[in-house]
Amino acid sequence: MRCYGLVIPGGSDASCFTHARRPTSDPVLRIIYPARIQFASFKAKATIREATKKDASFYELLGIPETGTLPEIKQAYKQLARKYHPDVSPPDRVEEYTRRFIMVQEAYETLSDSRRRALYDRDMARGIHLAFSARRGFQSDLEMEERSEWKNRWEAQLSDLKRRSMTKDARGNLSWGAQMRRQRDELSSE
Amino acid sequence: MAQPAYTVTSDSENTGEEKSSVAFPDIAIGIDIGTSQCRVAVWNGSQVELLKNARNLKMMQSYVTFKDDLSSGGVSNQLSHELDMFSGSVIFNMKRLIGRVDTDPVVHASKSLPFLVQTLNIGVRPIIAALVRNAWRSTTPEEVLAIYLVELRVMVEGQLKRPIRNVVLTTPVSFNRFQLTRIERACAMAGLHVLRLMPEPTAVALLYAQQQQQTAQDSMGSGSEKIALIFNMGAGYCDVAVSATAGGVSQIKALAGSAIGGEDLLQNMMRYLFPESEIMLMRHGVDDIKSMAKLRVATQDAINTLSFQNSVQVDVDIVSGTETCKVVDKVVDREEFEVVNEKVFQQCEILIVQCLHDAKVDVQDIADVILVGGCSKIPKIRNIVQGICKKEAFYKDMNPLEAAVSGAALEGAVASGVSDPFGKLDLLTIQATPLAIGIRADGNKFIPIIPKNTTMPARKELHFTTARDNQNEALVLVYEGGAKIEENYLLGYFKIIGIPPAPKGVPEITVGMDIDATNVLRVFAGATLPGAKEPFFPFMEVRMPTVDDGNGWCDEALHTAYGNRLDLVSLPKKI
Repeated sequence: MRCYGLVIPGGSDASCFTHARRPTSDPVLRIIYPARIQFASFKAKATIREATKKDASFYELLGIPETGTLPEIKQAYKQLARKYHPDVSPPDRVEEYTRRFIMVQEAYETLSDSRRRALYDRDMARGIHLAFSARRGFQSDLEMEERSEWKNRWEAQLSDLKRRSMTKDARGNLSWGAQMRRQRDELSSE
Repeated sequence: MAQPAYTVTSDSENTGEEKSSVAFPDIAIGIDIGTSQCRVAVWNGSQVELLKNARNLKMMQSYVTFKDDLSSGGVSNQLSHELDMFSGSVIFNMKRLIGRVDTDPVVHASKSLPFLVQTLNIGVRPIIAALVRNAWRSTTPEEVLAIYLVELRVMVEGQLKRPIRNVVLTTPVSFNRFQLTRIERACAMAGLHVLRLMPEPTAVALLYAQQQQQTAQDSMGSGSEKIALIFNMGAGYCDVAVSATAGGVSQIKALAGSAIGGEDLLQNMMRYLFPESEIMLMRHGVDDIKSMAKLRVATQDAINTLSFQNSVQVDVDIVSGTETCKVVDKVVDREEFEVVNEKVFQQCEILIVQCLHDAKVDVQDIADVILVGGCSKIPKIRNIVQGICKKEAFYKDMNPLEAAVSGAALEGAVASGVSDPFGKLDLLTIQATPLAIGIRADGNKFIPIIPKNTTMPARKELHFTTARDNQNEALVLVYEGGAKIEENYLLGYFKIIGIPPAPKGVPEITVGMDIDATNVLRVFAGATLPGAKEPFFPFMEVRMPTVDDGNGWCDEALHTAYGNRLDLVSLPKKI
């Protein structure tokens, strides 16, 4: 069955996008409610789930222990990519494997980022298991990025470069020839 | 000499046919059609082999000559003189023109080429024409490319002694989805089926992955992850990629690209050497074209010389009109060349820094810096890349002009399901989206749904709501590009209908996007009220791009017709 994993928010129930009729027996899309905690106020959000993988944590998805190191995570991801990526999967299982690849990708993206992994671990410890797309969104991604240090370093360099190229633009109102002659004159007078 | 059949086998925008089920050995060939040059390669069972044309050349020029009823491309045809290329009857630089409208600055820069590029500046496709018997005969970039591809196909079929159907083509990073469909269209016109389109540096990344895997196997090493920065600059485009490679898997972490290249360096230099050329280039008189051809050839020679010499003498006689005869007689040094092209080089710097930034990579983590493409020998380019990456030396094990096509041939073999007993094809490229895809919301803002550099295949969604009370319809405008909506490409549009009556901000509208294994983009959208179990109206599923031509005026027409009546407002994530 084809399913694009788009879910209507607002109900405790979910239905699949491509099928107007909601499958009653096949729990393809469902938010996970861990037994330990009650979520009366929790609102169902988009999830991409498979019945078989229902309870798998990101660690289980990647097949690594919760103490797994970054190189282990990377290695596991690449191995699973070799298996599930649609380019290398058996032709008759492309759709199923594509779904799995996207899940593996999400697990990898979360666990290979130390901040995201810490958040995920914290939620796991509390018994909250918000898998796919639940925590991550446009805004939270941006917030997350703003706090990273590597970003600032490149950003400073980038804004400096852009500013320099803008100043060149400022005299761009001259015709091209005039601009070049001026540059030549500036050079020769130096 | 038999003229190859010029067939149009498909008129569909998206050549959405099933993958060929033809049995082995239908290995897809790799084609790298550059703005100025073209190469073809194929996996020959044990390694990648570059194919040569009848004149024993691996590198063929990308152009098509129009003559009376006959058109012939640079695969088989040989021009009697270098200057003939710039006589007006030869169309080249198709890659800079394909899929662009007449308001595009790249199209405007092409107006100084010897053939005719006419613009009306309203957002439709430009008129492109070749000079045949003193008349401008129109053609299209797709047609020119198709004629060229037919020749290429005949050449390859003759050598491999089998019909060729599947191809892997390399494309610039900055190409939008509409431009990619134009490439697919040209291939379909030539009877070829596109198995994959690969951004050029990602093809290089695949070749690198193979080389690293071989080295790791030879040395019995563990093959830990290696970060590579790939910089590719040809005549028309500049592309940058950062990849993480281990065990034959090359994961693209970030891509950046722009339509800048050797053609810009050349045009800037021509104007610098001979400022009056601006007028003559645009005028397209018969004498103007001849004079400018000489200037172009002399300037290109000078630029090439400046790559290994500090200065060069340029001599050209230019006939302008009937009476005047002007002579360019100048010594140009490398520094002048660098000053004249300062902006182009700055743009290259920005692309590299942007790409490293997006890849979240630190300089010291870069294991290899790979420099490829026709402009890779320019000293200034080498300095820039070296300066940013803080590397003494570049990666040496690749031919800078053959890397992209070799990668495409590898992908062709992998995607055709070929395996190699020595594991040379145990390879995989994990691609990322070169551009962001999103919709217009919150007034005139671009809200990305699939951000730039998202791993493909991908599936993402965001939630929106209505902008007015009892709004029963909403317009979904899908754009591709960067942060600024005005600069983005409108891929398509549709309406969400049947939104239940409610105050503004109450209905929940979900917009989802899905890029599948073959890079097909589908957009889903639908509305519901909080608490409702079922949508009021079936969801929409639309395959993009739907705008096939004239995106410039389409955008404006939609704005004129609907204003902000059917607007969407983004909802924050509630968790």
